Amino acid sequence: MRRLFAYLAAIVAGCALGLGSALWMAGLWPAGRSLAFGDVDVEGWRSDFAIGSKTADPYTRARVARHGLLALAKTEAVYLTRALDDAGEPLRESCTYRLTGGQMPGGWWSVTLYDSGSMLPANTDGALSIDAERAGAGAWEAVIAARRPERAAHWISSRGAGTFDLTLRLYMPNAALLTDPNGTLDAPRIARLSCEGAS
Amino acid sequence: MRRWLGPLLALALCTAAAHALTLYLTPGVIMNRAMDALAQRGVALHRFTTPERVTPQTQSIVRSSPDLYYALCRYDLSKPGSVLDLRMGAWPDYQSLAFFDGQTNNFATLRGLGKAVSVQLLPPGSAAQPGAIVSPTTKGVILIRRLAPDAARFAAAAESGKADLCRLREA
Repeated sequence: MRRLFAYLAAIVAGCALGLGSALWMAGLWPAGRSLAFGDVDVEGWRSDFAIGSKTADPYTRARVARHGLLALAKTEAVYLTRALDDAGEPLRESCTYRLTGGQMPGGWWSVTLYDSGSMLPANTDGALSIDAERAGAGAWEAVIAARRPERAAHWISSRGAGTFDLTLRLYMPNAALLTDPNGTLDAPRIARLSCEGAS
Repeated sequence: MRRWLGPLLALALCTAAAHALTLYLTPGVIMNRAMDALAQRGVALHRFTTPERVTPQTQSIVRSSPDLYYALCRYDLSKPGSVLDLRMGAWPDYQSLAFFDGQTNNFATLRGLGKAVSVQLLPPGSAAQPGAIVSPTTKGVILIRRLAPDAARFAAAAESGKADLCRLREA
């Protein structure tokens, strides 16, 4: 009887361990883990260029199914996500940031803010992103803050986002970006300007 | 110690099996749930749904872009001989017609810069044909993206979308 119980306990524990470890390694559990993962890391902007492809490893496929469903394969678009500022601190609604960048190696690009559930933050500010058309040619700058700044050419609202991340989309990426992302992409920088409650 | 060998082996085997099975099943389960959610939000079977502009209040798919026009069509090619006729109307800027199978794989994407695109989608196992794509699974989603970063462009994209077609033909 004790032997049977030992086997039963081993099976139940094994199933729980297998389920939990798979969900944890795929970034699906616990909830709210970031999409900043993958084999590409350009100054903190992370991606897996196997997104959307059958060649993606099972962890990537599971994570993308949850956080990036209906994402395109890399020849059409690449997605890079960053959850930390230039100082390595998590991006937070209570802080104000300056996002700066330059020319991007693709036909069109955008940077969009998402909350920890991978959804657009629940606000009505109409300031969810910046894209190639609004930024114009050459260097560009946007302020990320929960309230509209007094002086800023572009604003991305973090109101209602809590802890958030940014996704850089590059459509029709240059071939060089796919083979040498670090040498090709001038990655946008995220400088923390201030935080509420900080001295 | 030897009497624990069997249970320990069972623990290791069950852990490995549950781990692999979870990873294998997750994309399909998530895609099924997403398809059900899309159906509940009015995304039709075999018809492109006229979309609303993506906002925090209207979003239904994770990480949707507020700068793009998305038109979705769910498909089901489980009936023998069924074929899906597809057309993406002309749009002067970036647009693409992307195919996703029941495992979330993006198995084909057709770009249409300033031009309309027509193609057929065939059930799994069909012979390859010119002007046709074979779906790896019977069910999936087709997604048109059009660059439309403001309200006026979105309205224009919706007008172009009237020429989009997703229609099932049964033998």
